[in-house]
Amino acid sequence: MKSSTIYLLAFCMLVIYGCKKIINVNLNDASPQIVIEGNIYNTAGPYQVKISKTVNFSASNIYPGVSGAFVKVADITSGVTNILSETSAGLYITSSLQGVPGHTYQLTVITGGQTYTASSTMPQAITLDSIGFQHNAGNVGSNINPVVNFQDPAGINNYYNFTQFVNGIQLKSLNPFSDRLSDGRYISQQLFNDSSYIRIGDTILVQMNCVDKNVWNFFNTLVEATNGNSFQSAAPANPISNLSNNALGYFSASTINTKKRVAF
Amino acid sequence: MRRISNMISLLLFLMAANNAIAQQKAVPDRHTISGSIKEKKGGEILIGASVYLLEQPKSGTVSNSYGFYSISAPAGIYTLIVNFAGYLPDSIKIVLDKNITQSVELIQKGSELQEVIVSSKKKNENVVRPLMGVQKLSISEIQNVPVIFGEKDVLKTLQLLPGVKSAGEGNSGFYVRGGGADQNLILLDEAVVYNASHLLGFFSSFNSDAIKDLTLYKGAMPAEYGGRLSSVVDIKMNDGNNQNLQTSGGIGLIASRLNIEGPIVKDKGSFIISGRRTYADLFLKLSRDSSIRNNSLYFYDLNVKANYTLDDKNRVYLSGYFGKDNLGFGGTFGIDYGNSTATARWNHIFNSRLFSNTSLIYSNYNYNIRINSGSNNLLIKSKIEDLSLKEDLQYFINNDNKINFGINVIRHAISPGIVDVSSSSSYNPVALQSKYAYENAAYISHELTPADKWKLNYGLRFSAFSIMGPGNFYNYDTAGNIISTKYYSSGQVVKTYMNLEPRFSASYQLTENRSFKAAYSRNVQNLHLLSNSASTNPTDLWIPSSPNVKPEIADQFSLGYYQNFRNNKYEFSSEIYYKALQNQIDYKNGAILRANENVESELLFGSGRAYGWELFLKKKTGKLTGWVSYTLSRTERKIAGINNGEYYPAKQDQTHNIAIVGIYKANNKWTFSSNWVYNTGNAVTFPSGKYQVNGLTTFYYTERNGYRMPAYHRLDFAATLLEKKKKKGEGSWTFSLYNVYGRENAYSIRFQDNPADVTKTQAVQTALFRWVPSVTYNFKF
Repeated sequence: MKSSTIYLLAFCMLVIYGCKKIINVNLNDASPQIVIEGNIYNTAGPYQVKISKTVNFSASNIYPGVSGAFVKVADITSGVTNILSETSAGLYITSSLQGVPGHTYQLTVITGGQTYTASSTMPQAITLDSIGFQHNAGNVGSNINPVVNFQDPAGINNYYNFTQFVNGIQLKSLNPFSDRLSDGRYISQQLFNDSSYIRIGDTILVQMNCVDKNVWNFFNTLVEATNGNSFQSAAPANPISNLSNNALGYFSASTINTKKRVAF
Repeated sequence: MRRISNMISLLLFLMAANNAIAQQKAVPDRHTISGSIKEKKGGEILIGASVYLLEQPKSGTVSNSYGFYSISAPAGIYTLIVNFAGYLPDSIKIVLDKNITQSVELIQKGSELQEVIVSSKKKNENVVRPLMGVQKLSISEIQNVPVIFGEKDVLKTLQLLPGVKSAGEGNSGFYVRGGGADQNLILLDEAVVYNASHLLGFFSSFNSDAIKDLTLYKGAMPAEYGGRLSSVVDIKMNDGNNQNLQTSGGIGLIASRLNIEGPIVKDKGSFIISGRRTYADLFLKLSRDSSIRNNSLYFYDLNVKANYTLDDKNRVYLSGYFGKDNLGFGGTFGIDYGNSTATARWNHIFNSRLFSNTSLIYSNYNYNIRINSGSNNLLIKSKIEDLSLKEDLQYFINNDNKINFGINVIRHAISPGIVDVSSSSSYNPVALQSKYAYENAAYISHELTPADKWKLNYGLRFSAFSIMGPGNFYNYDTAGNIISTKYYSSGQVVKTYMNLEPRFSASYQLTENRSFKAAYSRNVQNLHLLSNSASTNPTDLWIPSSPNVKPEIADQFSLGYYQNFRNNKYEFSSEIYYKALQNQIDYKNGAILRANENVESELLFGSGRAYGWELFLKKKTGKLTGWVSYTLSRTERKIAGINNGEYYPAKQDQTHNIAIVGIYKANNKWTFSSNWVYNTGNAVTFPSGKYQVNGLTTFYYTERNGYRMPAYHRLDFAATLLEKKKKKGEGSWTFSLYNVYGRENAYSIRFQDNPADVTKTQAVQTALFRWVPSVTYNFKF
């Protein structure tokens, strides 16, 4: 073994481009579909039901409201029924209804000769104890992610949905969470966002909604669809809605709990 | 039970029929000449060398995977001719008056310019043999084809052959004739390798320094193989030089390799140790950013093998593989995974006609994930472990009849996941039930020449897959809820799936250099990989067949035309195939595959079909060698609940697929090589509309895989400079450039709100690599 015969390696520059660019994709047009989004909370009403239609990908992000629909929300548990009134195109509000944990609500929408229904049961409220922050290694520097701290009640299936607001503006990320692997634990869970949106000194508001299983399933499958065509999901699909008759969207009865804190 | 006894009597009948043929044709005054074919310099056995008697041109055979051959002929004086690509042919005078043993050692052609070789008759093996859809890659071909990062890679070179499609940019995963990535049986010295890739797919598990030979069967595999639907990749490791101690290796940008081989006892036994490690992580350490410095990113693998010839009739081999990947991000997340395999083999020659190999095989694939985030400390462990016994016998009845038969018993133990947590963790500890199964098989096949110009290979594989206790087994309704649970104790059989897998292939030789072939085969697969990610992940889940998950079945029909030109300098083939797939697996929307005891309730089942036309033209000798490969194909799936239950294109459905490979040996110093690939983009699901939910833009999908990614094409180039031979040792430099014209091939296309104008949405394409240059220094002394 003669070391003199071994040449030292001369390194070349390794040029790896992970490049992104905006492209034009010729997407098909689809006939407009009904989209329904209704929420009943344990806080004071009125509550909203929005009805709109899908638009083509190339169109602006303006979704035409569907006017003149018959919209009814019934509290099946107490027997109270409320017919919603339209305040602006596609926006319908309740008048006398009050969300109560444990009650089941049923939504009925009749429009264009079609009837769409969904029901949702409001789970018991769970307290969001506090929020903290975690610094994670990111592609460039580090990312700040809020951490939510709360006690999951043991023995029952609990489903959550978290929404983050930075200085009053909602982040475009969804954080559904289920206690499938965490039943009865004290939970400290990081919330993720698309990139490093949060900076030290920003005011962060986290909203925790306790939702029922179907609503969690909707948001969970929506996250998968959003990740579609990235490195994770094989084939994106429409989220699983709790609405009948192939309507898109969801109807949810949930409890709200929020915490606000300045990021550090 | 009646069906089983019918199957067994059919098997027995076939065996009896074969014996009858044997007795009929074994004329008493015939003698047998047998032995092994080796390389002279290192004693490496040569697989697939062609052997025949000059005076009996139809007597030809090829050496088996242990270099053994057997030819019989009437008493007389003969010339034994042995040929192997890259070696000087040898001829030996034989006086055949009794059964004799004749081992042959071939001399490797020098590295001097390859002359146009005087082609001997037996170079048309590809035309004559009945087997279809078989591709062999020699190490010299693999060495010269340019690849990304300059790491020679058998699985990436394989992707340049017709009918084989890449799983993605720079990825070592592949699809064969429309099959899934988990439908390839990858064997390293007979041991199954469950995850054949490193670094999330960018490198294959196989260090090309340690590999002797690779054979790919694209469906019509012989009866000794089973367990996967689409293909067999049979990789044999080098045996090691039994004459001299030799060291070789390479220093590359990504990894370095070292290979040591030598005799244990000269002429009797040898060993080889071959290791490889990447060192990208060492550069990470140089970073000023602590979050990058704390990342880890490396893999290593080690191949070891030893063999020893006990006597004329007995030879033993021990081989092992151990590979590990380690990826860690800033101490908060880490994953390590790897395969280990071990094979002990015993070759025994009962007599000049009966050759036996007995193998004891161990294979293990495991991964561990560590998450340390705040108070959440998680350790997730998963493992699949096989123990297998294999007995293969080859009976050379006469030159026109050869019988292969054997049995194989595999015990699978799968631990799908154990989650260990700290007491303050947000998660509960989980231990998913381990799964146990026996995969048993018996096979017999008969290769014969029923008439002049005809060759036939027919066989039958009988497979029995038994799912064993202990464990709870569930019954689900269509919504995925448990209807009933049944407990089975240890050793109790839960269910046995029995299948008969007929294999048939035939060739008809039109002229000396032209033939037609036809084949039919059925394959059954009882281990299924669940993966709902775009490419395969190290954490994908293997599940065995179960009362809910039926064995996957594929039937393939193929037809082909083969022709060699110009004294076998050019090889041409054209094959068409049709494959029908049953019990294919897909997933419900929102399926939870991780840490889910009821993962079987998340599955959808359906069928598939794949058909295509493959053209292949190869130039085998001369200054310029290489090949052109073209595949026209369609791959579809039909799953209830997806696209209204209609056939839809599978992700890997690529209509056109072209690969051109050229290797030009300019002189004794320089070799240039280049390849160009083109394929239609994968089928993909894109939105056909959008709406708003919770203030977020949400996309509306109308069908699965209704769109296409942009077409993929790329040119690579490499140049190898061989240094002047020194007294001791030699060296070479390989310079390569991946993606010469820097095309931004789409890796993914995402749809999102336009950050500059929130009233609009846009499509963003990500490309992974443009111009990846690399340099590698290889040495040998």
